[in-house]
Amino acid sequence: MDKVKEMLSELHSVCADPRAQLDAALARGRKAVGVLPYFCPEELVYAAGMLPFGLWGAEMQTSLSGRYYPAFTCSLLHTALEMGLRGQLAGLSAIMVPLCCDSLKCFGPNWKYGVGTVPVIDVAWAQNRKTEAGEEFTRARFRRVLGRLEEISGKTVSDGEIAEAVALYNENRAALRAFSAAAAAHPEAVSPLQRCEAMKAGYFMDRAAHTAKLRALTEALCSLPESPRRGLRIVTTGILADSPALLGILEDAGCTVADDQVAQESGFFRTDTPVTADPVVGLARRLGLAEGCSVLFDPGKERGRELVKLAKAAGADGVLWVMAKFCDPEEFDYVPVRRMLEEAGIPLLAVEYDQQTASFEQARSAIEAFAEMLRG
Amino acid sequence: MADILTMGMDVGSTTSKCLILRGGKDIAASALIPAGTGTSGPRRALEEALEKAGLKREDMVCVTATGYGRATFPGADYTVSELSCHALGAHALDGEAKTVIDIGGQDAKALCLGPEGKLLRFLMNDKCAAGTGRFLEVMARVLEKDVSDLAEMDALAAGMTPISSTCTVFAESEVISQLAKGADLCDLVKGIHRSVAVRTASLMHRLGVEAPVAMTGGVARNAGVVRALEKELGTPIRVSPLAQLAGALGAAIYGWRKQGERE
Ligand code: SF4
Repeated sequence: MDKVKEMLSELHSVCADPRAQLDAALARGRKAVGVLPYFCPEELVYAAGMLPFGLWGAEMQTSLSGRYYPAFTCSLLHTALEMGLRGQLAGLSAIMVPLCCDSLKCFGPNWKYGVGTVPVIDVAWAQNRKTEAGEEFTRARFRRVLGRLEEISGKTVSDGEIAEAVALYNENRAALRAFSAAAAAHPEAVSPLQRCEAMKAGYFMDRAAHTAKLRALTEALCSLPESPRRGLRIVTTGILADSPALLGILEDAGCTVADDQVAQESGFFRTDTPVTADPVVGLARRLGLAEGCSVLFDPGKERGRELVKLAKAAGADGVLWVMAKFCDPEEFDYVPVRRMLEEAGIPLLAVEYDQQTASFEQARSAIEAFAEMLRG
Repeated sequence: MADILTMGMDVGSTTSKCLILRGGKDIAASALIPAGTGTSGPRRALEEALEKAGLKREDMVCVTATGYGRATFPGADYTVSELSCHALGAHALDGEAKTVIDIGGQDAKALCLGPEGKLLRFLMNDKCAAGTGRFLEVMARVLEKDVSDLAEMDALAAGMTPISSTCTVFAESEVISQLAKGADLCDLVKGIHRSVAVRTASLMHRLGVEAPVAMTGGVARNAGVVRALEKELGTPIRVSPLAQLAGALGAAIYGWRKQGERE
């Protein structure tokens, strides 16, 4: 158990100070590229010998970002931009910006104007992600991204190196899936916040190092005596569910995160990159295979069906939707997905969250009431 | 079990309510102090209820705290969310109610009840004071009236001056500009009530409204809001004279049920 605690605490430290990871990489002479969510081909950054550094915003107050974004933009982008404007991301050689929601589309121009010194690489992919033409479009765009990364790193990247990075990332995804299952089986050893931090740390560490840590952690968890089922089992969904305050409330209410459909968590690890002769085709195909995220074109709302399946497979008592404030894609998904959960008889609670929230009392009341309701 | 005494303490944001229940059914005493969490209100409500009933705190088999300040109430045996307590309390006051709207000092909640007052679904308002008791207090202050005068003024209105802003701060400016234009005070009050009703109805529609509808919480005492909400929803709203005590009643019932489980 001490070993588990020690490893969880190391991963906590990574999330508490991501900048230290960036500085350490820079000190070793490795370049780093900031990666905004969602579905950026990080593998290409890795193959170019650089550190992909996740930009998921931060819990902070913003003032400078207000010059570029209106108040009704999600906090993820407000705070990510604020960090750039305050110079807190100095040292990055570039940032990758996917063009998958209206607010992200404005991020690049805002960044270019406000931050200037760090170049922007736009990452576009086909909306019709499941068609052959869509895949070809995405492949071509990813090749263009690779060209930019080669310029920035000063290194020509071979297909073999991309294939190696793809394999390394898939191993990391497998390690994350195994950890997620082990954490759900051992709620006495891994709190909801610790579960989240163990996953999130991968966005700031070298993926190979993260895989090694996760494997050791999962092994240690699996060697613990089987724990009897206790508390309520919750499946989380949304963009981000990493708020220490919210996850603390969830824990206080006696809830375990049994599985998730959160963009920052399983959004990264649920779908592997298929191995293809041209590895960039595999990266494009992954986008066609992925489900369960509001930024993916999903006319049949597979997200809802996937959520029902996940909740049933996890034996979940209910679903908690951490609703990102001012996020259009999430708001659009809410009604159809809620209906699907209702039809399946799965209780749902939606709690609005943004990274500038200071008071969680209303969320506490709602989560406690939800837990009381689930206990009957 | 028939004679045991349980206490429900509802520590709200603006008022403290205490209720003593005998045998899970009969109200032995209750008290309501217009001072909420972080003030002397909770202690005074408790003392007043005990005094009215001629009882001591030791006579209580258990004390259940609910409401915004439930975690800070000293010596509670149980703490339960106000949503669960309002569901239990509303059901005890009106066994037929299927939808409950509770508007308190700083938030509004819509609850859908199942058999025996079981909470099936709920929604809370956004994190702002619009459409809550606080909103009405701010508006009353601008009109130089007491919030308790609003219902009567609403009844006297010949027309209605609509208030379109839902934000408390913007609505305050709107009311001030209407005053500057010489709008009739009673018509303005009716407009303010309608604005609360529209906001509340939208919360309820998101949850799904199933009749009969009951209202609890402090704002339920304002007949003007109730009338406006009835009109907005197109369905009558039932209000118990004890509506403001529903949370404390639910808490006392919760404690009583817990004792039953233990015995
Ligand atoms: S998808 Fe939502 S949370 Fe993510 S960047 Fe776009 S608006 Fe913000």
